[in-house]
Amino acid sequence: MIEARGITRTFAARRGMLGRGGVRALRGVDVAIPDRGAVSFIGESGCGKTTLGRILCGLEDFDGGDLVIDGQSMTTLKPKERAPHYRRIQLIHQDPYTALNPTRTISQILTDPLRLRAGQTGAGGTWVTGRRAQLLELVGLDPDYVLPRYPHMLSGGMRQRVVIARALTVDPVALVADEAVSMIDVSLRLGILQLLRDLRTQLRVSVLFITHDVATARYVGHGGELYVLYRGTVVERGPTDALIASPVHPYTQSLLSAIPVLRGIELPAPDRVVPTGPLDEHADVPGCLFEPRCPFTAPGCRDQPPPLVPLDGSPQGQAHAHACLYPARRSVVPAPTVPGNAPADPARGPQP
Amino acid sequence: MTGEADLVITEALEGASTAAVAVRVRDLTVTFPTPDGPLPAVAGVSLELAPGAITGLVGESGSGKSTLALTLLNAVPAPGHVAAGEVRVDGIGDVLALRRAELRRARGAKLGYVFQASQNSLNPLKPVGKQLLDLGRSHGVRDRRALLHRARQLMDKMGMDAARVLASYQHELSGGMRQRVGIVFALVLNAHVLILDEPTTALDMLSQAAVLDIIRKVHREHHLTTLIISHDVGVIGDLADRMAVMYAGRIVEEGPTASVLADPMHPYTRGLLTAMPRISGDIGAARPLPGRPPDLTSIPRQGCVFRPRCPLATDDCAAAEPPDTVLSNTGLRDRRFACYVTAGELS
Repeated sequence: MIEARGITRTFAARRGMLGRGGVRALRGVDVAIPDRGAVSFIGESGCGKTTLGRILCGLEDFDGGDLVIDGQSMTTLKPKERAPHYRRIQLIHQDPYTALNPTRTISQILTDPLRLRAGQTGAGGTWVTGRRAQLLELVGLDPDYVLPRYPHMLSGGMRQRVVIARALTVDPVALVADEAVSMIDVSLRLGILQLLRDLRTQLRVSVLFITHDVATARYVGHGGELYVLYRGTVVERGPTDALIASPVHPYTQSLLSAIPVLRGIELPAPDRVVPTGPLDEHADVPGCLFEPRCPFTAPGCRDQPPPLVPLDGSPQGQAHAHACLYPARRSVVPAPTVPGNAPADPARGPQP
Repeated sequence: MTGEADLVITEALEGASTAAVAVRVRDLTVTFPTPDGPLPAVAGVSLELAPGAITGLVGESGSGKSTLALTLLNAVPAPGHVAAGEVRVDGIGDVLALRRAELRRARGAKLGYVFQASQNSLNPLKPVGKQLLDLGRSHGVRDRRALLHRARQLMDKMGMDAARVLASYQHELSGGMRQRVGIVFALVLNAHVLILDEPTTALDMLSQAAVLDIIRKVHREHHLTTLIISHDVGVIGDLADRMAVMYAGRIVEEGPTASVLADPMHPYTRGLLTAMPRISGDIGAARPLPGRPPDLTSIPRQGCVFRPRCPLATDDCAAAEPPDTVLSNTGLRDRRFACYVTAGELS
């Protein structure tokens, strides 16, 4: 179990040409990632989702709040003592092209962390080679093909699988995948997403999935929880499927409204929520942070930040929470033209 | 290439034969030299852009979609080489036969191009307004005031604060704003054909939706013929009237977008759609497409290029490349695809 409690992080800006202050990347975020759970974070660029992911891996400091990994609070530990805890949370980042050392073979890339691991557990050299092959097979790669090769000889999809295998060498309890498929060819993306989903059940790791693409969050985060971040705060959270099906915060609704509608197989949603302006990361807002862009601004929205509260009458009970004074269901998700319509099956003939 | 005299004659004929086509690409082959000899990045592609329509070209990296689009400007980067075929643009003629000066006039004045990663293609050292004037100067625009006026009009239409944007450097603008500036630059010389290469890549969902709305709006209000290139079926499926699916240098399927998406005929199109997580419907039905997209050297030299990844492949597929099957009198109007097996399904 990994718990973030009221995490805050402010980036001090150099006194720039515009004379503006720092950016409050996170303003008190609470997250609980259960063992083998899946938690997805969505939001636009600049909402703080990447910073949160980096904090959870120990790659970024936080200013306030606490991070508790399996009951151990990080703030009570000295920096050196934190390392073994952070090591159990591994980051898969966006770019598999820069994540691997180009001068080393896949064999070398995987052997080093495994030797360290063997040193800790007292396992021998045969364990290292066996485990290496096992991990590659787990991520869907052929060890004989991949091991002697250099990263540039592999496709983006294969490289990302190698990155995942390397993350698994230290037996992590959680993987943080930050836009893990955005640089990978479209036909190979689903394979990586499926792998992340399968690892939850096969290796009992939890997955924290960070993306701006709600549909991929729906796929990986199936059965998990979805958090919607806006300017460093959680504006809505809930069970992934329920939240996507019936969001009540205007910001969540605007993210869902922005998803392209496929002609011929989807019907545009009856409601469309469009922010009234672009994001200003520096704007000083006393009330609801989304208020300056919200098409439904009402009295009270500018007074103070609305707290995250459970949705009244939600079938999910406490699970579905929102930070809006005027939560309202709006129908913003495009529907398949045939209810329950599955995407086309490659082996299927044309329909009459 | 075609001589001057031929050009005049074919242009005279063009009015009659291509009245309903703004851009016609015919049997185009573009090769690149490799250690194995010249290999085609685009192989015998034909494509027509209907005037006033948005055509979408969807494909993965290495499918040849950007090379095809650059050919419309006769701007294939060296060492690429147009080995065969022709590209005719309404009002210009055969683009591949133009001389350098004519080509320069045609680009910008007739053909507007928004480059891939145009968010990063602005000059970081000059404000946008200055770059606009440079653009005017290099195209011999005398009336700088009119040029600026037109740029301001376009920016207003796209919801930009023209005065602020013209005075800004690129780093002061967001990704979505830079992409809009790219579209302004493409249209400011009154181009009537707009080509956008991956216009929303690297933008988040909200910026993407805003840019797509703008493309729709300028397309309609300026009566453009638009070609939009993307790896994202969602973007094409939302925006395009017709779509073409490109794989390994070939257009494997083409037709009205709604019809192609509802009844994909090529196994690659079907596979792509199945591999797409969607926001509604049964998420468990999504399936990965096996294999990986080929690069120039690993494209099969004989038979169907999709064969190594195809769940339907038979021995026939290895023998020769499948010809286009054209559907014109079925419920699926005005479509083509290149597959032996699914063509058999129809009969």
